[in-house]
Amino acid sequence: MTAFVVRRLVRLVVVVIGVSLVTFAILHASGDPVALIMPEAPEADRVVLRATLGLHDPLPIQFARFVRNAATGNFGNSFFHRTPAFALVIERMPTTLLLTALSMALAMAIALPVGIYGAIRRGGAVDQVATGTVFLGQSMPVFWTGIMLILLFSVQWRMLPVSGWDSWASIVLPTLTLSTFTAPLLLRIVRSSMLDVVKLDYVRTARAKGVSEWLVILRHALKNAALPLVTVTGLQFGLLLGGAVITETVFAVPGVGRLIVGAIRQLDFPVVQAGVFMLAMIVVTVNFVVDLLYVYLNPQIRVR
Amino acid sequence: MKRWLTPLLLLPLLLAIVPAGDAQPKDTLTVALVSHAPTLDPHMHFERVGILVNINMFDSLLHRNTKLQYEPSLATSWKALNDTTWEFKLRKGVKFHNGDPLTAEDVKFSFERVTEPGKEKKKSPQYGNIRAIKDVRIVDPETIHVVTDKPFPLLLERLVFFPIVPKKHIEKVGDEAFGTTAAVGTGPWKLVEWKRDQYIRLESFDGHWRGKPAFKHLVIRAVPEVATQIAEMKTGGVDLIRNVSADLIPELKSHPQTYVSSTPILRVHYVELDMRQPPFDKKLARQAANLAIDKQAIIQKLMGGLGQQTATVVQPLAFGHDSEVTPFAYDPKKAKELLAQAGFPNGVDITAHSAFVEFRPVFEAVAQMLTDVGLRTNARMWDPGPAWNKFFQTEGKATNAAYGSWGNYSVFDADAVLHPLFHTEPGGWIGKHYTRVEGLDKLIDEARSTVDQPRRKRTYSQIQKLIREEAPAIFLFTQYDTLAISKKVEYAARGDEWLWLFDAKPKK
Repeated sequence: MTAFVVRRLVRLVVVVIGVSLVTFAILHASGDPVALIMPEAPEADRVVLRATLGLHDPLPIQFARFVRNAATGNFGNSFFHRTPAFALVIERMPTTLLLTALSMALAMAIALPVGIYGAIRRGGAVDQVATGTVFLGQSMPVFWTGIMLILLFSVQWRMLPVSGWDSWASIVLPTLTLSTFTAPLLLRIVRSSMLDVVKLDYVRTARAKGVSEWLVILRHALKNAALPLVTVTGLQFGLLLGGAVITETVFAVPGVGRLIVGAIRQLDFPVVQAGVFMLAMIVVTVNFVVDLLYVYLNPQIRVR
Repeated sequence: MKRWLTPLLLLPLLLAIVPAGDAQPKDTLTVALVSHAPTLDPHMHFERVGILVNINMFDSLLHRNTKLQYEPSLATSWKALNDTTWEFKLRKGVKFHNGDPLTAEDVKFSFERVTEPGKEKKKSPQYGNIRAIKDVRIVDPETIHVVTDKPFPLLLERLVFFPIVPKKHIEKVGDEAFGTTAAVGTGPWKLVEWKRDQYIRLESFDGHWRGKPAFKHLVIRAVPEVATQIAEMKTGGVDLIRNVSADLIPELKSHPQTYVSSTPILRVHYVELDMRQPPFDKKLARQAANLAIDKQAIIQKLMGGLGQQTATVVQPLAFGHDSEVTPFAYDPKKAKELLAQAGFPNGVDITAHSAFVEFRPVFEAVAQMLTDVGLRTNARMWDPGPAWNKFFQTEGKATNAAYGSWGNYSVFDADAVLHPLFHTEPGGWIGKHYTRVEGLDKLIDEARSTVDQPRRKRTYSQIQKLIREEAPAIFLFTQYDTLAISKKVEYAARGDEWLWLFDAKPKK
């Protein structure tokens, strides 16, 4: 077990460094931030600023410096905000995490009951409607869903505020938007893995023993059906964070995603790096937890 | 089984029944901008979105009225004592938000905060605007002299946005707090709370020297997405948005709760031509490019009619504009002839670049029109970041033409467009890469070196005739800016794109 955990932890570190390297490379290939910071300035002023920002060194040296500092949580000062980039990201992290967690919870709250019910009453009304909605939900881009929800709930029905992040009401639409993106996939997974499991002998045996129906479903069937669900949930969490980037922009939510979008536009390297680093950390950590959950759910995996 | 499922299924619905936030109270004016500036400190950024907020909290020495004329603000009068010395008389009895009186010391401090005499590195990005200022002298408590190192005709233009900040207060709280939580000025509204990327809440300042603004509360929200801004307008969550694009105007015009207000602004569109190499090293080819463009069609079809063709890059609103210089006509036949005379009877392949994403259709239309007369254009769109790299860092890689638009940084003077676009001095902007018009540098310098306005005007006329003939760029049009405004609020768009909300009134 310890070896397993250590191995996964090493992989975690490798992935985060890899992500940072790719971000670093792409950012530095995309242009000169100094030109954006001072478009009208004479070259002499730019040279000074470039030196101040450490942009005149060769790229490998810049990357080495970046890794060394990142290890201590120091990503440098934001070119735009002129304050530590890491603090800017941390300040916005709770918002993004709350949005992502709520969306995941809501997606689960929809996917689990509907998926289970659909699997048990296969081909029934709920199942058919759900399967249809899955296609619809998955084919809508988050951006578009968000704007449609605004048009319906805010402009048409005046039930909820259009944007912002200052009341519980303003959290509803972004959450709904993000969960319509995730719920369909989860629902499909729940349904199909439940379908696989309910046919198995041990379920029939449990029923034959006279165990009550809902205990059979929740205790016996669901635990075994949960394996693929857990995997997908872990992966979905990363996708959700990605979706949050867009959702936060549409709904003017002050989260990490929106910070990164703005930073990319301004070529604000430290903020993009700090933001991507943190998001990568979260995704990798979630997947690490998923790996551990696996072992709990299916003891056979541990052996490898 | 069904019994326990039902409440679970209802959960998402329950979530949705939370009541929506309150509608806007009557004495609150809410504005949405795409973002917030990095700081509230008016000297430590150079962002349009920051300036729009700052002007409502801080006063400058001069103000510009809706007719775009200078008006007294913290200075009640001003005059040039000679070519390099200006005298300003300060308004008496002005108070800062914290109760401190405005003094000549504050004015001097404000200037030196940006010019930082004796320091090698300047921390204010606005330093370049007023680098000509050599000294600020307090003559008496109500009089200051501003001394420039050479004649600086743009001084008054620069002082329209040059907020005066309180010396004592800043020395007490420090720059950091001043830019975030403790911003204090003399303007109509004072700071209540700033939540970065969410809102800036301001409240009217009872001691403001102009009197109280009509709206007690001013909220400036950051809403990056245009579609969201529009939805906020329609639901009354926001009272004013700016930069409404032509395609959205009809929708906001016809909505029962909103109206639009458009006005010509300084922003001019052009295609800078690379005069260092063929085909645009030839005057006739440059003129041909100008004749090839149907500017009227572009304005009507792509800009919603909200534009005005220009003879050169000097905007009609800018000082020095000469209305007697006329725009190139649309004449594709003559364009082909000129191109043939220039030595390209079978046309020629060129490349044009643009990083102005929102004007992509205009750029593509221009490219097509050029192609139609034989200037077969390979039109390349760039993201702004890489484009800067391409155009300006690696000198001369981007040929043969670059689409651009220039807003003069809201300086209503021909110099603010001619110098960056066409002057070739090493420290210059894009002119040094592209433009090679004999005698042009000298004329631009000449108009810069005096504060005698009639003389400057004559020089600018000369320049406009020269560049109309030499055509270092394809001259296109100036655009309008459009605001969408709630019908509860009375306000009109300004030519300088300022949101001077002291002028905003509730509508009955």
